[in-house]
Amino acid sequence: MDLSGLSELRYVKREDGEIKIGALTTIGDLERQVDNSAWGRFLNDVITKFGSPNIRSLATIGGNICAASSSEDLIPVFLALDAKVKTLRKSGTREMPLQEFLVAKRKTALHADEILVEVSFPEPSARAACSFQKLGMRNILIIALVSVAVFLDTDDSRSNITQARIALNRLKGKIPQRVKSVEKGLLDKRLDEHAIKSAVERLGEELTLTSDFRASSEYRCEAVKVLLRRALVDCQQNILKK
Amino acid sequence: MNGKDHALVVESTERLLDVLRDRLDLKGVKEGCGTGDCGTCTVIMDGRLVNSCLVLAVQARDKKITTIEGVGTREKLHPVQKALMKYGAAQCGFCTPAMVLAGKNLVDHNPSPSKEEIKEAISGVLCRCTGYYKIIDAIHDAAKEISEVRS
Amino acid sequence: MTETAAVQKLREAQRFTLVGKRIQRLDALDKVLGLPLYTSDIVPKDALRVKVVRSSVPHALIKRVNTQAAREMPGVLAVLTAEDIPGINEAYALLPDRPLLASKKVRCHGEAIAVVAAGDSETAEEAADRISVEYERLPIVTSPVEAMKPDSLLVHDSGNVAKYLRVRKGDVKEGFRQADVIIENTYKTQFQDPAPLEPEVGMAWVEKDGSVTCVGSMQTPFYVQTGVAKVLGLSPDKVRVIQATTGGAFGPKSDEMPVDTCAISAMVAQKTGKPAILAYTRDESMIAHTKRHPFVITLKTGAKNDGRLTASEALVVSDTGAYASLGPLVIIRACFHATGPYVIPHVKTDAYCMYTNNTMAGSFRGFGSPQVHFAAESQMDELAKKLDMDPLDLRLKNILRPGMLTATSQLVDEACSLEECTKRATETSGWRKKRLEFSRDRGPFRRGIGIALMYHGNSLGPEGSDYAYVHMLIKPDAKIVVRTALTEYGTGAISGLAQVAAETLGLPIHLFELDRPDTASCQETGPTVASRVMVIGGRAAQIAAQKLKEKLLNVASDSLHCEPSKLTIRDENVYHIDDPKRAIPFKKIVEECYKKHISLTETGYYIAPKCEFESENSQGTTYLQYTYGAVVAEVQVDTELGVVKPVKITAAYDAGRAINPLSVEGQIEGGTIQGLGYGLTEQLVHLGGMVVNPTLGDYYIPTSLDIPEIQTIIVEYPGAIGPFGAKAMGEPPVDLPAAALANAVAQTIGSRVFDLPITAEKVLFAMKRKR
Repeated sequence: MDLSGLSELRYVKREDGEIKIGALTTIGDLERQVDNSAWGRFLNDVITKFGSPNIRSLATIGGNICAASSSEDLIPVFLALDAKVKTLRKSGTREMPLQEFLVAKRKTALHADEILVEVSFPEPSARAACSFQKLGMRNILIIALVSVAVFLDTDDSRSNITQARIALNRLKGKIPQRVKSVEKGLLDKRLDEHAIKSAVERLGEELTLTSDFRASSEYRCEAVKVLLRRALVDCQQNILKK
Repeated sequence: MNGKDHALVVESTERLLDVLRDRLDLKGVKEGCGTGDCGTCTVIMDGRLVNSCLVLAVQARDKKITTIEGVGTREKLHPVQKALMKYGAAQCGFCTPAMVLAGKNLVDHNPSPSKEEIKEAISGVLCRCTGYYKIIDAIHDAAKEISEVRS
Repeated sequence: MTETAAVQKLREAQRFTLVGKRIQRLDALDKVLGLPLYTSDIVPKDALRVKVVRSSVPHALIKRVNTQAAREMPGVLAVLTAEDIPGINEAYALLPDRPLLASKKVRCHGEAIAVVAAGDSETAEEAADRISVEYERLPIVTSPVEAMKPDSLLVHDSGNVAKYLRVRKGDVKEGFRQADVIIENTYKTQFQDPAPLEPEVGMAWVEKDGSVTCVGSMQTPFYVQTGVAKVLGLSPDKVRVIQATTGGAFGPKSDEMPVDTCAISAMVAQKTGKPAILAYTRDESMIAHTKRHPFVITLKTGAKNDGRLTASEALVVSDTGAYASLGPLVIIRACFHATGPYVIPHVKTDAYCMYTNNTMAGSFRGFGSPQVHFAAESQMDELAKKLDMDPLDLRLKNILRPGMLTATSQLVDEACSLEECTKRATETSGWRKKRLEFSRDRGPFRRGIGIALMYHGNSLGPEGSDYAYVHMLIKPDAKIVVRTALTEYGTGAISGLAQVAAETLGLPIHLFELDRPDTASCQETGPTVASRVMVIGGRAAQIAAQKLKEKLLNVASDSLHCEPSKLTIRDENVYHIDDPKRAIPFKKIVEECYKKHISLTETGYYIAPKCEFESENSQGTTYLQYTYGAVVAEVQVDTELGVVKPVKITAAYDAGRAINPLSVEGQIEGGTIQGLGYGLTEQLVHLGGMVVNPTLGDYYIPTSLDIPEIQTIIVEYPGAIGPFGAKAMGEPPVDLPAAALANAVAQTIGSRVFDLPITAEKVLFAMKRKR
């Protein structure tokens, strides 16, 4: 069934402290949302390495999420934003956290007669920063070897981490997820070199990433630590700039 | 479709690519992979480049589409086409229609693109013959020519 | 440049009216308008769509092919298996080892077993899905080195060695005795997919007289004619083959695939009485067509402390997959060039082309040269490291120069420009300065610079008879038609033939037209491969043009009342050389010819001298001329992730005479990027003999955002046989980028990746190994 005519599902709006995006909003539509806010920069990180200009015109948020696999860039991003999804069927709507919606690899919580209509997340504060790092074999039209999405929020002094959300893909046998143990280790810490180093070390300890013909699990584990560090440093620099 | 309205009845599974090539006889739109990876099926739809192999025909309802057949003629080439000729930027020619459309769409939106912006604009179209260099130089030249004509 | 050299260059430039000019190709206008007709663009409305059922296992006996369900499907008009082949079930490029349709056994993933035809693609696909094959699986051998072992399972009853040859020069034991240092390394390369943007496609129909016409995407129409005739059990003159506009080729469209697509379509056409078209999907193309041979190369090299090479011992092993295709010829080129372009008194090279249960490897631009140059040039840098010498200095000490002998003891002639190519590439790129500067880089992002040199024997050399036919005719409207069975598929070579003809005749290029390659109207002319169109075809074009010119001048001499030797053609007029006022328009002479019934059709035939060499030890003249080149590559390595960013390529190639510099640059630039992909990102992965990434999404050919800056330098040392001294330029540009990049990366990280492609993972682990 082709839903593309439902133009009412193509929107980006700010409402009640949340950013709400219609499921049929394309990546191309989101290009216009790129700005200097935390959310805007997150978008920029993702978009510059998403598909190609041709793909961005057609790829939708809903399509990306419902594919429920490690090849979908937006999943770690929305997980890091603590997003929830809204679905619709004849009997009404449901809302649930994105992680709950993603049941397993290539399987969502959608019923056969249900469609995804919206993704929403709390609008990041002015003190927050996000970073998305993706590693691939080319500079465009990339199938990610591994990606990391990081969201950090700090207190008024901008030095203590009040919120940390880190999501990865290419987890062996699993759909993209947040690494809660690493997140916990960052909470209430000063956002400095030491905290970043410990976070990276903690990540290395409990990770099993996919091994396939594109890359070994060993390499992905090495790479993801580097990507996490770069994402955290990126966030740190953005926070300090504000 | 290249400035002319068409009314068609299509199958639900028919791709825009099939409608263009088989129903409307627009053979300039090519199929290089069928999976959205190569860009030879590129058309301009409502001002954006899309891979027509990924678009269902029904999704193109009420949309404005441009294919290579709608760009330039033998007597009056589009500046991008003229430049591609001058720079020897077409080798086997299979990606050329897509490159023309990508170049045209870029200069329609951005009158003085940098070489980086040109590389970005054509990045969804693969070329196995040229290495892209002459295509990029040609589009850059064409944009300059268009700007000069405008001023 | 000295004044004399500058004047010389000027005089040279004035010598030619068209040669050396940047001319637009004759098909450029059509291409930018999207007008050329590729095979799928001219399919008759009633044509049947053909789908092939292919093996889903790498090695097995076929117990049964169940076609009943497909036959019973409405809309299915033909279901064919090996039993239905009217002629001989064979479709091979060289060795008689391959059937068109497998009947008892499959030896690799993707072998054709059955064929379905229906009125539309969906029905044909569905019918194909309903055909099931019962296999009895067999063990597999997927490593060419394993396949060499005496107890290895056999892919073919005749044994796993498809071809063996060797080079013996001097006494390698003595050479190593003389050496102060000896190094030994093993290098490995991968399957590279040619990935022309237009997948293989062939179409056929039966004419009223029972003959068959085939139209397809191909490089060599006469190979297709022979192959199709054999399968159909017809004599070749009953099969007409026409090359449609071909969207890229690079090799696979000269080997088995065009015969497969056309013969299968022709069988369906014969069976059903309707036209039929077989258009490969991309994944089918990537699994089934021929690709670059993976090689395992072990090099042992000896040198004196001052850098002079004394000995080279090489074991060169290629993986040709389940069927040899042109593997036996690829291994010859690889064997002869295995040492790299250096003077080495003692050489021992043993080269084996091995069968395995991987998919077929065959022709792909470079034809063995990229693989051996990756190994040889990496080895030179390793030697330089051992000797603590600058890699450039080590090379300059050993490169081939006029008067020296190659590894096959061929005397190098004055057209050897390797030193100039090397000097131009290193000076232009700022080699010495950058080597020093980059070695001081600190931090996670480090730069490096690497060099690689090559020589590339032109045309067929030892591979066979090297000839070409080019036909030319002047029409009543004074347009000149160039017609040949040599083919255009993006190289611009056929336009180049017209340019050569135009130069010879003294007429402007806009008078020339190209006709379509058609076995019905062209003489069989050998394959369009080995970058031979300009070198060999160009000579034939010159000869045809010269014959026409003589005819025209004879007729003009009557009208102008003088000797033909006093006349010349320029600017569409025939002039008296001493008195330009005595002139007649070219158009008028053409009219005269037609009035006097003087035929203005000529055929130029050229055959290259045979290469004389002793075949047991491969000593003698292996190629009639060589293209030389030098590439300097600059990279930036992200040492935390291992990612290699190619920053700049400086490439100097000796084109002999660049007939059309625009086309030559196009070949250099395109070849460089194909070489870049070969070096850094491309790998057609086989796991257990099965191709796992037959898509352009998971097989990474460079995009416009992956290209480095490029600087092209064209050197011209005229060669012995090409027209105006032209040398082959189609393939050479693919030989070196991987080697130069490998050396640049090794310099950056202080450790080497010995196998292609040089992925980030390999770089990171090479760095860890070093620590």
